[in-house]
Amino acid sequence: MSPDGTITATRIWKRFRADRRHAMLRHQIETLRRRMKGKASPWRWALRDVDFCIEPGESVGLFGPNGSGKSTLLKILCRVMVPDAGTLEVKGRVGALIEVSSGIHPQLSGRENVFFYGSLLGLSRREVAQRFDAIVDFAEIENAIDRQVKFYSSGMRMRLGFAVAAFLDPDILLVDEVLAVGDTAFQQKCLDRMRAVLDEGATLVFVSHDLASVEASCTRGVWLQDGVLRQDGPIAESLGAYRRSIEEAAEVLPSVGGQVNVRKVSISGPGGARPSSQEALEISLILESQTARPGSLCLGISEGPATPIFVVRRELHLVEGEMEIRCAISVLPLPRGRFYLWLAIQDWGDPLPWHPAAHFDVDGPDLDIPPHAVARMSPVHVNASWELDSR
Amino acid sequence: MALSDSTVDLGLLEEPPAEIRYRRVVHPLGALGELYRSRELVFTLAEREIRARYKQSSLGMSWTVLTPVLLMIVFTLFFRRVADVDTGGAPYAVFAYIGLLPWTFFSSSVSNGGQSLVTNASLLNKVYCPREVFPLSSIGVSAVDGVISTVILGVLFLIYGVMPEPETAWVPVLLAVQLAFTTGVTLIISSVLVYLRDLRQALPMVLQLGLFASPVAYGIEAIPESYRFVYAIANPLGPVIDGYRRTVLDGQAPQWEFLAPAAVSAFVVLVVGYLLFKRLETRFADVA
Repeated sequence: MSPDGTITATRIWKRFRADRRHAMLRHQIETLRRRMKGKASPWRWALRDVDFCIEPGESVGLFGPNGSGKSTLLKILCRVMVPDAGTLEVKGRVGALIEVSSGIHPQLSGRENVFFYGSLLGLSRREVAQRFDAIVDFAEIENAIDRQVKFYSSGMRMRLGFAVAAFLDPDILLVDEVLAVGDTAFQQKCLDRMRAVLDEGATLVFVSHDLASVEASCTRGVWLQDGVLRQDGPIAESLGAYRRSIEEAAEVLPSVGGQVNVRKVSISGPGGARPSSQEALEISLILESQTARPGSLCLGISEGPATPIFVVRRELHLVEGEMEIRCAISVLPLPRGRFYLWLAIQDWGDPLPWHPAAHFDVDGPDLDIPPHAVARMSPVHVNASWELDSR
Repeated sequence: MALSDSTVDLGLLEEPPAEIRYRRVVHPLGALGELYRSRELVFTLAEREIRARYKQSSLGMSWTVLTPVLLMIVFTLFFRRVADVDTGGAPYAVFAYIGLLPWTFFSSSVSNGGQSLVTNASLLNKVYCPREVFPLSSIGVSAVDGVISTVILGVLFLIYGVMPEPETAWVPVLLAVQLAFTTGVTLIISSVLVYLRDLRQALPMVLQLGLFASPVAYGIEAIPESYRFVYAIANPLGPVIDGYRRTVLDGQAPQWEFLAPAAVSAFVVLVVGYLLFKRLETRFADVA
């Protein structure tokens, strides 16, 4: 018998329907008819042969691009979904810190909801009563606890849902993108709570696109890509491999929408040196367009594949042929680390989406923060000046 | 695509090998044990439903008894005039109401419990619990309604000066059959509706037909004696309703030759329903 907090996943496979069939009688009849004719239904494998074992007390970060199967894997871990093949053994109480306003009944008061939601998550009434004050305190709704939830703000409702889940005292804590909800203070609170649970010896599985907070919270990294486990190892190695794969994708100079090609990208600090914090940064691009057209060029800087930290934009008139564009940013508001440059061109026709264009390293001090506390970097404004040359 | 190339390089299979494919094996005892551990959740969900309902309505509890009482009045005013119903000497209002009690319990359980998984789909997708807690808690709500409606029966007894006979002691047996059949049907409907959502539209109509296929407005004598055995198997509620009237109003023992097959049928429906539910349960979250 393995101790509480152990997860053993052996060759997990999971598939979903790839067609647009709904759960209706006529569709089921159609499916049956196809099956009789010997035609298989189209399926898409969301997880393929995923194999891992997590020991009690480990903190595992799960990352990968959208659609790579992270959330499906998490649903399988909390037993909401059953894999199509393979076996999964989960020991101990599983708590999931996921967005769960669906369990909150709008007609009932906050107090009633805490009890109902708690028992939905597997707590007995006595256990909820013991934690009640801590939950209310965490959700910051002391004054509104006896008010009907339909009169809560959506933020209060969300905090209430989270607070109950946060006090489950699980052996295994599953966290799916906490940072996507709530204001910064509450996000920080959730992260702190997550670490407190971790310090009590719980196992953590943390899914996020925010690679910085994954790196700060986890010791082991699992990289999923297209439902396949690409790398599983110490967090620095897995994240490094994942980042390199994003870079490789970025190194193929993008052709934006097939009409604009990026010929050259260079990013440098003052006087051609490496970029560094709080110094100037110059981005120079050579774009080649098939047609002359007006549009606006957007450059975004991100940390990992998440929301850009800042975006600069410039209206321009693309000429047929090559065009050199230089964008100078007077003060670079980034700490030390690796960042990505994204490029998009919007014109009056169809907007051309974001494409990764390059990556660069920034020298400078680390973020001045206590260990294990990561504040999400929010969008910032930067001043940029532009120079355009058509050749 | 670069990625599919690399997956081929890793020597990955396109499909899982047959020997590791998941096969659903239902362990009834294990499932029941898990359900027992979640019993508090069933009560909590039912309580949540009842509380929320009474917060939304100013008439409160009176809504609960409205359905059977109104149907009773309609039946008394109209049905009795067109069809000559043999009530065995009991006032028709009492006769009809005593049949409406189990019927209302059945119909509201099947209707609310049957849709409980679909309406709670967002929860099914996020939180794990034995899935039968949702239909079971709906049945619990209907049971509370049933108890409240029974109070009206007492009022009717007072109005018409009828006294329940000592044979009322048989009621727990009848209740067990009623409960087993109701639970079985609710479990079947709820699990099937997840996959066949359009049947949800047909549910009220089927229940409406069921009201007239059961001896609620009329007595079981309306069904020819030679068909009654088959009828008892097809609709266990028939002998149950007849049993209530027979024991409470007429002071007779239940008609065992019909109640026994009804009881067997009801328990078969319960067992089949539970196994079907546990079998279909694994894919609820995929399609919900």
